[in-house]
Amino acid sequence: MNSCAIRIEDLSVAFGGRTVIDNLNLEIGQGGPTFLLGRSGSGKTTLLRAINRLNECFPGCVTRGQVSLQLGGDWVDAYAPGTVVETLRRQAGMVFQSPNVLPLSVARNVILPLRTVLNLPADECEARMEQALRDVHLWNEVGDRLAAPAASLSGGQQQRLCLARALALRPEVLLLDEPTASLDFKAARQIEELLVELKTRYTLVVVSHSLSQAHRLAEQVFVLRDGGRVERLEEEVFRDKEALLAVMDELV
Amino acid sequence: MERMLRLFAWGASVLVPAVLLTLLAFLLWRGVPGWSLALFFGDTPPLDAVLRGAPVFDGLWPACLGTVALVLLATAIAVPLGIASGVYQAEFASPRQRAALSFCVDLLAGIPSILMGLFGFALILLLRKTVAPAANTGLLLSAGCLALLVLPYLISTTRLALESVPHELRLAGACLGLSHGQVVGRILLPAALHGIFGGVILAVGRAAEDTAVILLTGVVANAGAPSSLFGKYEALPFHIYYLAAEYQTPAQLAQAFAAALVLLCITGGLFAVARLLRAHLETRWKTGRSQ
Ligand SMILES: Nc1ncnc2c1ncn2[C@@H]1O[C@H](COP(=O)(O)OP(=O)(O)OP(=O)(O)O)[C@@H](O)[C@H]1O
Ligand SMILES: [Mg+2]
Repeated sequence: MNSCAIRIEDLSVAFGGRTVIDNLNLEIGQGGPTFLLGRSGSGKTTLLRAINRLNECFPGCVTRGQVSLQLGGDWVDAYAPGTVVETLRRQAGMVFQSPNVLPLSVARNVILPLRTVLNLPADECEARMEQALRDVHLWNEVGDRLAAPAASLSGGQQQRLCLARALALRPEVLLLDEPTASLDFKAARQIEELLVELKTRYTLVVVSHSLSQAHRLAEQVFVLRDGGRVERLEEEVFRDKEALLAVMDELV
Repeated sequence: MERMLRLFAWGASVLVPAVLLTLLAFLLWRGVPGWSLALFFGDTPPLDAVLRGAPVFDGLWPACLGTVALVLLATAIAVPLGIASGVYQAEFASPRQRAALSFCVDLLAGIPSILMGLFGFALILLLRKTVAPAANTGLLLSAGCLALLVLPYLISTTRLALESVPHELRLAGACLGLSHGQVVGRILLPAALHGIFGGVILAVGRAAEDTAVILLTGVVANAGAPSSLFGKYEALPFHIYYLAAEYQTPAQLAQAFAAALVLLCITGGLFAVARLLRAHLETRWKTGRSQ
C-alpha cells in the first residue's frame, strides 16, 4: 500500500439518534483507487460525507471521532475547530451518487464555483473549465454547446460534468459515490478508464456496487458491514473473483 | 363522481379567465371612449406638461406620476427589507426564531390597510407634538405605510421560494466549497428568483391599487405633480374613487372609467418591467452573460 492519505479513527455518525457508522477505523492510501463496498444502506455515502464534513448539512446528524487528511503536505484534522470547512471541501472534492448539476449552462456549472470560491479572473476560469472538460473527455462532446442548460446533457455526461466541476477546483482527494451507477456499459468503461488516469494525480475513494469494477481497478478494498463496522479485504481476496464473490455473498 | 369533480374543477378554472375577460371588456367598453389627450392633460399642452413640468389642472397626468412615484418608492423600501427578512427566516433563523417571526409576519398580513393608514396618520400627530411640529402627511409617509402593507407578501414568498429549492442544490454548493452565505447568494436566491418575483409583482399590484392607506397619509385631489418626498400628491386609485363617488355629469363618470383603465395599464407596465428584470437576472445567472 502507498503511504496513508486519509486516516479515520473511532468515527461514529448518527442521524437523529440512529447510529449509522459505529466506531470505525480506516486508513486510506494515497492514489488508490480505494473501493468501499457494502450493501445498500450500510453507510457508504455517509462515510464519504464524513470525510468532507458534508453530513453537517443534514440537521440532526452527530459525528464523533477523528478524520485526518493529508492535504498540501500537511495533516489536516477535518473536525478540528480551526479547520476551515469550505477549504476542506474544496480540497476533498465529491461527486454524488446521482448527478446534481446546477440549473445553469454547462460552462457556468464549472465556472460559478471557480469565480465564487477562488475568485479567479474570467480568462483563467475559462481555461480551467476547458481543461477540466478535456480531463473527463467531455470537451469533444459538449464543447460546441457550452451555453446549453446542463440538464440537457445525458446522465453520463452530467456525471462527468460534475466530476469536471470538482476537478476544476484542483482538489487533492476525490470522493466518488457510485460514479458509474447511472451509466450504461460503455459510459461506465469510460469512467473507469478515467479513474486509472486520475489515480496518479489524486487520492481516489470510490463507492461502488460493482464487484468486477473493484476486482479490476482497486488498490485497496473495504467492506462496510451492517451496524457500521468495516473490514479490510486482502489483496489476494479482491484480486480473486471467486473469493470476492464469496465474501459478498456472505454479506447479503 | 370523478366526472363531476373534473367538471367542477374545469368550471372553476374557466371561471377565473372568464371573470377577468368580462372585467377587462367592461373597462375597455366604458373607458376607451374617454381616452383623449385632454383626459390626461386638460388644457395644458401635453409636451409642456411632460417635458417642462407645466402644471396640469384638469387631467390624469399628475395622478399617473403620483401613482408611479408612490409604487416605486414603496417597492424600493419594501423589496430589500422583505427579501432580506425572508432570507433570514429561511436560512439563518433557529426554529424558535422562525416560528416567532412567521407568526409576526402573519399578524402583519392580517392588518387591514385602513389601519395602516391610521397608523401613519397617528405617527404624524405624534411627531407634531414632539420633535417635529411642522411634520405633515405626504408621499414618503404613504410609501412607508404601503411598504409595511406589502412587506408580509414579500417575506413569505421569499421564504417559501427558498424553502422549496431542492436540498441537492444546497449540497452541491456546499461540496464545492461555497460558504453558507455564498450558497444562499449565488445559488439558492437565483434559483428562487421566480417565486420571489411573484411576491414582488403581488406587492407592486397591491401598492398600486390601495386607496385606504393613502387616503389618510397624504393624497389629495388637486396637488399637481409630486414635487417632493414630503409634499402632498395625487394618485389614480384615489382619483377614481373621488370621481366615482362625487360625479355630477356622465362625463365625469366616464372619466373615472378611463382613469381605471389607465391604472390598469400602469400596473401592467410595472409587471412587464418586473418580468423583464427577472428574465435578465436569470439569464445572467444561468449563462454568466447579460442577454
Ligand atoms: N440525511 C439523512 N437523514 C437520516 N438518515 C440518513 C441520512 N442519510 C443517510 N441516512 C441513513 O443512514 C444509513 C446509511 O445511508 P447511506 O446513504 O450512507 O447508505 P449507502 O451505503 O450509501 O446506501 P446506497 O448503496 O443505497 O447508496 C441509511 O439507513 C439511511 O437511512
Ligand atoms: Mg449511497
